[in-house]
Amino acid sequence: MISVRGLRKHYKVHKRPPGLKAALRSLVHRSYTTVKAVDGISFDIRPGERVGFLGPNGAGKTTTLKVLSGLLHPSDGEVTVDGHVPRLREEAFLKKIMLVMGQKQQLLWDLPPAETFELNRAIYDVPAIQYKQTLDELVALLDIGDLITKPTRQLSLGERMKCELAAALIHRPRVLFLDEPTIGLDVSMQATMRTFIKEYNEKYGATLILTSHYMDDVAALCPRVIVIDKGLLSYDGSLDALVQRVRPEKRVVLRLAEEVDAARLAPLGKVVTHEAGTAVLQVRQEAVNATISRALAGLPVTDLTVENAPLEEVMSELFAENKARREAAAEDASRESVTA
Amino acid sequence: MVRRYLRLLGIQLKASGLLAVQYRADFFTEGLTSLFWTFTALAPLFVVYGERPVVEGWSFGEALLVVGWFTLLQGILEGAINPSLTGVVEHIRKGTLDFVLLKPADAQFLVSTQRFLPWRAFNVLTGLGLFVYAFSRLGRWPSVPGLLSSVLLLGTSTLLLYSLWILTVSAAFYVVRVDNLTYLFTSIFDFARWPSSVFKGVAKGALTLVFTYVIPLALMTTFPAEAMLGRLPLHALAGAVVGAVVFAWLARRVWLHSIGHYTSASS
Repeated sequence: MISVRGLRKHYKVHKRPPGLKAALRSLVHRSYTTVKAVDGISFDIRPGERVGFLGPNGAGKTTTLKVLSGLLHPSDGEVTVDGHVPRLREEAFLKKIMLVMGQKQQLLWDLPPAETFELNRAIYDVPAIQYKQTLDELVALLDIGDLITKPTRQLSLGERMKCELAAALIHRPRVLFLDEPTIGLDVSMQATMRTFIKEYNEKYGATLILTSHYMDDVAALCPRVIVIDKGLLSYDGSLDALVQRVRPEKRVVLRLAEEVDAARLAPLGKVVTHEAGTAVLQVRQEAVNATISRALAGLPVTDLTVENAPLEEVMSELFAENKARREAAAEDASRESVTA
Repeated sequence: MVRRYLRLLGIQLKASGLLAVQYRADFFTEGLTSLFWTFTALAPLFVVYGERPVVEGWSFGEALLVVGWFTLLQGILEGAINPSLTGVVEHIRKGTLDFVLLKPADAQFLVSTQRFLPWRAFNVLTGLGLFVYAFSRLGRWPSVPGLLSSVLLLGTSTLLLYSLWILTVSAAFYVVRVDNLTYLFTSIFDFARWPSSVFKGVAKGALTLVFTYVIPLALMTTFPAEAMLGRLPLHALAGAVVGAVVFAWLARRVWLHSIGHYTSASS
């Protein structure tokens, strides 16, 4: 469905040091630097897949999504989406896709969302029967029956986001790019959005790429993740395998009937937290069984669970690893140039 | 294809209509400000014609026709062209032009029809009123061919204004802040309230040349007024039509090229 080969997107950015002198000099002599937003990434996505794009701020996630949806022209590389070259912005292509951005909105601000839906219906040339059917379905699933006739500016952020999603799906896109769709929403609204997105993917077999800073979104929606860091692809595979690779240790969470001395916990594994009757231990995978047996035998345990490390921690460790590797490579390179 | 775009236009007009009804107090303020500006537009005319009966071949009644066309076009500019296209500048700055470019319809059409201010039709009515008053002062009525060619010129003038605006807005893809450019455009358009020949004495006629060929203000107000008076040569009429089409073609090329340079705003 989606194929990306050696995608690069470089920007030329005007750069000047701070201060009046530098500002005046830059009027005559401008210096530019090249920002490598995306620097040679390749991947394939099958129809109906749900893929999470992960990476720190400025990693190149949004840029990649914008190239895939035809908004930005790649500097180099080949991109196809369902057989179309996005940058040509053919009507047939644009009718198949949609980009939802949590930070930008397409709803007409002073008019009710129903007006935007109507406009999109005309733009996407949706037949009347299909429009009614889709709208009824979206209204029921997202529970927005009362909202679509109120002016958009009177809606809360969560309500607006639900209507945004409905406006984006009126034409039943087969490829959905979601850029931070749950940003700023409360926990229950985030859950509603996740359930809805998953249902849409399963019902229509739509291909889905999601970027989000909320790891819960990614864990709930994306069996596969692609990690981008500084414009480079640093991981592509299942989320479970990523966690296994970066942080193979498990977390054993013990709820204790009474306070236990820290010295009694230390021999069981690395103590991550220990407070108010709960202790969290970090244990190598192969030692989990032994640790559990010893804990049950020697401690007043009332409840016990085994978990993976939180995804946020896994990701920050991965990004730190990548950064250290880049710095080491840069150091090597400078050392080589000195000896040369 | 045409039917789809007509339907789109209908929906965009309806949305603007709904907004206009929401803010119906605008009707009265628009009406009053329109009358006020028409009188201020006429004031210098009274001053100039108080001294002499004819200026550069234009009598008071004839010059009134130019002001009539100026007022009418101002109504079209501020009611149908300005609101949409100033919206584009905002779209580019905020990065919401993304949504326009994601739509499977012509982006120029979508941005050009996104907002209308129906109450500005008041200016159009005022312009028509000025025509009636001007002809009643002249003591005659326009000929049928004169009237027809002036209607044709209404089309070319609107196309010219629109194309100039598209060119201005296209600059926003490169410089982002074009507020000043839009002010400059409005101030230059103000010159169109005078018959173009009155600028003949300025800089050895260079200004008349500029207003005819570079920023074709003469084509917008002086030509239609002359057509109404039945004294516009046929070659000038043909020139206006060709000029408008060339400008529209140029504006379209520049717009398409500019879209390619759209960098979107970061999220």
